[in-house]
Amino acid sequence: MTARKPADPAAGGFDNLVHAPNRLRICALLDTAGEAEFGVVQEQLGLSASVLSKHAGALMDAGYVEQRKAVRDTRQRVWLRLTRRGREAYHGHLAALRAIIGQGPDAEPPPPAVRG
Amino acid sequence: METDAGLSGRTPSPTPQEALAALAEAERIRASTTALSATPWPLWFTIALTIYLAALPLVYGGVVAEDSWLLPHATWWTVLMAMIAVFMASFAAAARSWRQRTGVALRLDVLPKRATVPLMIGAPVLVVGSAWAFRFTGQVWWVVVASAVGAAVSVGFHLAFVRLHGRGTHERAA
Repeated sequence: MTARKPADPAAGGFDNLVHAPNRLRICALLDTAGEAEFGVVQEQLGLSASVLSKHAGALMDAGYVEQRKAVRDTRQRVWLRLTRRGREAYHGHLAALRAIIGQGPDAEPPPPAVRG
Repeated sequence: METDAGLSGRTPSPTPQEALAALAEAERIRASTTALSATPWPLWFTIALTIYLAALPLVYGGVVAEDSWLLPHATWWTVLMAMIAVFMASFAAAARSWRQRTGVALRLDVLPKRATVPLMIGAPVLVVGSAWAFRFTGQVWWVVVASAVGAAVSVGFHLAFVRLHGRGTHERAA
C-alpha cells in the first residue's frame, strides 16, 4: 500500500491530516503513551468506536499509525502506535502551530485547555 | 465539527487563536496520558522491589567480602543469582499485568530526567561502591546504609508515581 502524503510542503511542518481535532488528539495520546489499546484511546478521548476507527484508519492509510493485534482474556485487542513518520509529522505540525502563534519551535507548550 | 478536508485537500491555515487552542488541547491530552502512564506498580511488586533493593547491597557485599562473611562465598553467589532470577520473573509478570490494566505501553521515562538520571547513575554506584567499601574497610555499615537508601529510593519513587498519577486523575475529573 502506498501511503498518501498529506503534509503541505508550502506550509512547513503544518499537516492537514494531523490538524483535524480528533486526529490531533489521537496523535497527542499515542505520542505520549508510546502504544495504547484501542479501547483506552476511545475512553481517554471520549470517542465512539466508529469515529475512532475512521480517524485511526485515515492515519494508518497515511502511514502515521500502525496497529498490532494481541489476544487478552480470549478476546482480540488492537493496539495503536505512531510510526516514526507519524511522530515526525505530529511534531512538525506542533512546531508549525507554535510558529503561527509566534512561539519558537522549542517553546513551552501553552497551558491545557479547560474542558467545559 | 470535525472535517475531512485534510484527506481531500488543503485546509486554510488556522488563525493564531485556533492554533493556540489546538496546542492547548494537545497539551491537555499529553498531561492526562502522562498520568495514565504514571499508574503505580501493583503493591505486591512495589514490596518485592523494595525488598530486592534493600537486599542487593547486603548480598553483593557478601559476594565481594574478602573473607567469608556470615555465609560462604558460593552461597552468597547462589543467593545473588536466585534473587536476580526471581526479580526478573516478577518484573516480567508485573509489567504484563500493568500493561493489561492500563492499556498503554510501559515507559520508564515518565518521571522527569532530573529524578531518573541520578538514579540510573547512583543505584549501581551505591550497590557496587558500598560492597567494595565494605570489603576494604571491613565496616558493615557501608552495606547497611546502602540497603536503607535502596529501600527509601524504592518507596520514594512509588510515592512520586502515586502523586503524578493522582494529580492527572484529579485534573481529568475537574
